[in-house]
Amino acid sequence: MNLDAGLQAFSEESRELLQSMEDTLLQLEAKPDDDDLINGLFRAVHTVKGSAGLFGFDRVVEFAHLAESVMGRVRDHQVAVANDLPSLLLESRDHLGLLIEQALDGKPDPDEDSIRTGKALSARLQRHLSDRPAGEAQSRSIPAPTAPVLPARREAGVENRCWHISLRFGTEVLRNGMDPLSFIRYLNTAGEIVNLTTLEAMPDPAEMDAESCYLGFEIDLNSAADKEAIASVFEFVQDDCLIHILPPNSPIASYGELIEALPEENARIGEILRAGGALTESEFGTILAGWEKRLGGAGGEAESMPEPSGDAGIRPGVVEPSIVNAGADKYKKVKEHKEEENQVVRVSAAKLEDLVNLVGELVISGANTNLLARRSGGRRLADATETLAGLVENIRDTALSLRMVEIGTTFNRFRRVVREVSRELGKEIDLVISGGDTGLDKTVADKIGDPLMHLVRNALDHGIETPAERESAGKPLTETLHLNAYHDSGSIVIEICDDGRGLVREKILAKALEKQLIKENQSLTDSEIQRLIFEPGFSTAEQATNLSGRGVGMDVVLRNIAALRGRIDVESTPGEGAKISIRLPLTLAIIDGFLVQVGKSSYVIPLDLVDECVEFSEVASESYQDSQHINLRGEILPYIRLGEVFKCHTPGARDSQSQKVRENIVVTRYAGQKAGLVVDELLGEHQTVIKPLGTIFKNVKGLSGATILGSGEVAMIVDVPGLVSRVSESGCPQRTNPVNLEEVRH
Amino acid sequence: MSKTILIVDDSASVRTVVATALKGAGYSVVDACDGRDALSKLNGTKVHLIISDFNMPNMDGIAFVKEVKKLPNYKFTPICMLTTESEQSKIQEGKDAGAKAWIVKPFQPPKLLAAVEKLVLP
Repeated sequence: MNLDAGLQAFSEESRELLQSMEDTLLQLEAKPDDDDLINGLFRAVHTVKGSAGLFGFDRVVEFAHLAESVMGRVRDHQVAVANDLPSLLLESRDHLGLLIEQALDGKPDPDEDSIRTGKALSARLQRHLSDRPAGEAQSRSIPAPTAPVLPARREAGVENRCWHISLRFGTEVLRNGMDPLSFIRYLNTAGEIVNLTTLEAMPDPAEMDAESCYLGFEIDLNSAADKEAIASVFEFVQDDCLIHILPPNSPIASYGELIEALPEENARIGEILRAGGALTESEFGTILAGWEKRLGGAGGEAESMPEPSGDAGIRPGVVEPSIVNAGADKYKKVKEHKEEENQVVRVSAAKLEDLVNLVGELVISGANTNLLARRSGGRRLADATETLAGLVENIRDTALSLRMVEIGTTFNRFRRVVREVSRELGKEIDLVISGGDTGLDKTVADKIGDPLMHLVRNALDHGIETPAERESAGKPLTETLHLNAYHDSGSIVIEICDDGRGLVREKILAKALEKQLIKENQSLTDSEIQRLIFEPGFSTAEQATNLSGRGVGMDVVLRNIAALRGRIDVESTPGEGAKISIRLPLTLAIIDGFLVQVGKSSYVIPLDLVDECVEFSEVASESYQDSQHINLRGEILPYIRLGEVFKCHTPGARDSQSQKVRENIVVTRYAGQKAGLVVDELLGEHQTVIKPLGTIFKNVKGLSGATILGSGEVAMIVDVPGLVSRVSESGCPQRTNPVNLEEVRH
Repeated sequence: MSKTILIVDDSASVRTVVATALKGAGYSVVDACDGRDALSKLNGTKVHLIISDFNMPNMDGIAFVKEVKKLPNYKFTPICMLTTESEQSKIQEGKDAGAKAWIVKPFQPPKLLAAVEKLVLP
């Protein structure tokens, strides 16, 4: 059987379950008595165990079983969530994850490390089970079939070489959903049914219940199977039925006992056995002779076995009703709690990707249709396509929102990190998460995890002081790390704030000098100094702790975020803490664009970033002498000519036409900075499906992607943040060695 | 007409494996992730066998079996519970609720098919 699909499902499922175990365990530390959490935890490890068993991942099953047993005891309030138990369970969870990974990788031999860890953890887990009655944890035997086994005698056996099976189905069998015939049919898989006699114990028609079963069978089975295999055929009905199985060549006396044990009259059964060939004439005679010897024993007749009662399956007293009710109540609570989060459909990310791509195509051809309709001049056609365009826009937004995930999932990963770091460094750190429900595209969320992790670790390692330092600074001993997220003009902003020592100017400068990133006597603004931490090879940690790595981090963080079309800002108040803000686009796939024309080429400017459009000649008349700035209603606005940046037309050609060509300036704003882009023509809004640029264009500055217009032409998407920083830098006082974000970005 | 089996389990991998095995043996399969989901899927669908897990969110196996037994259309439908060896007591609980068959996890597909064939033929 092909298990690939199952393995795939298992891989995803176990990852989710492990994540939920971790989240739950961390919450459990704060709320050790929360039954819902404990139940959830138990169920997660239970499910992992059950699923792993399907694939024969024995090591996973074994370890999960142990962890489950401990969690089971926690659930039953036999063990309290205290001391090192959460840590132990967290470590166990990690080990379980490792085992699953190894199992999925198909590694036949586990490495020694993992065996050692496993053993150590197992021993620690066992300690929580130790006061449990011996053997209970290991009770793994399947209940043995309870068909009475008649003791073997040394007497001579009957001639019959077949198994003899006597079956009396209970009246409830049909109501229990069991079909007697399907068991008989299934018996064929265990051997050949040589003879089958049906017995009907029909009551008076008046008393007969059409839903009850009154059937019995005497079966002779020619089979090489053992008794257990044959008994297992009737495993599911053995509670309600009378089943006797006699092996081939059983002693005559066993048949005698069987005949007595069956509810029907002895003579009738004897006749059936004889007719069916189970007993020969003379064998039956021997049995009869035996009975005659015990004459007068009226009790020997039939009734030694009670008629199977209608409620054979129900054994009062086995489970206290109160326990059942308590269990039901508990589940009800969990049910209400989990209601919302279960109303979801799982869709593979690849399918969503396809959908978004298709919607992208739809957007493109929709834009084309719109354009054609407008040109054709047909008013009704234009109206219709306008409606269509509205719908397409809705579909686009909906399709993109399908890929939106909440940043909270990513944030929650840090609970563990913070917890462990606070222990390791002996710092008391409180992690505060807000804005966890802020949505962003899954592709962005996936890629932001690592950079965020690095920033969090950096904040913990470098930013936050030791308790002693904090005490002397008069700060509360418990430090706060705040993760926050919110939406702002088409971006998501993620903030990492700590109330630690902030960025220490002197330290950074000294380090930068040592690493020759700056020159002696170079004057730098605070923000420039802060930017230095993003320079390649910069690290201020006196000793590289295993926490924040080896100083390879921040420049990589910056590059990763730039690759997501995002930017990173640092604010720091010495002694009071630092805030790192990451600003990222909500989606990488489709944006609302503003289409402009420069020379013969079209460019798209992300609409979110466009503040306003002004005719250039109007404002240019009031412009400063310096041709890089204009006066926009009293505000100094640096500007740049797209045509010059991208060399769309030679300056000479433009100059000769400058009197005739009407130019426009698009005022863009990014992260508080404004800049103007001078273009020839404004073409209006355009839904833009972002196609990534090939590797050839990797080093091209000022472009963030390309898009295909309705007409089939390609338009470049302008990288406004890049251009804005370039424009504003060129307007800044000259520096000897500017820290150029652009160079890091690409 | 192939027989239809409803598989109820909160674990997607169990559902996938069981469904693959059953489909390979010629059964049709409907799956559900918990008791409540299963009840909504039972609504009107002809099902020849129900295979259900015990420990599930929303509505667990026992509660689900009890609900099924109340439905006139399904009271004769055989129900097979999936259990683990640590849940022996649960088997009895399941039987009391009306599920008379069980499969002990972890199981390999042949074991599953054997149990299923006792209850329905493909």
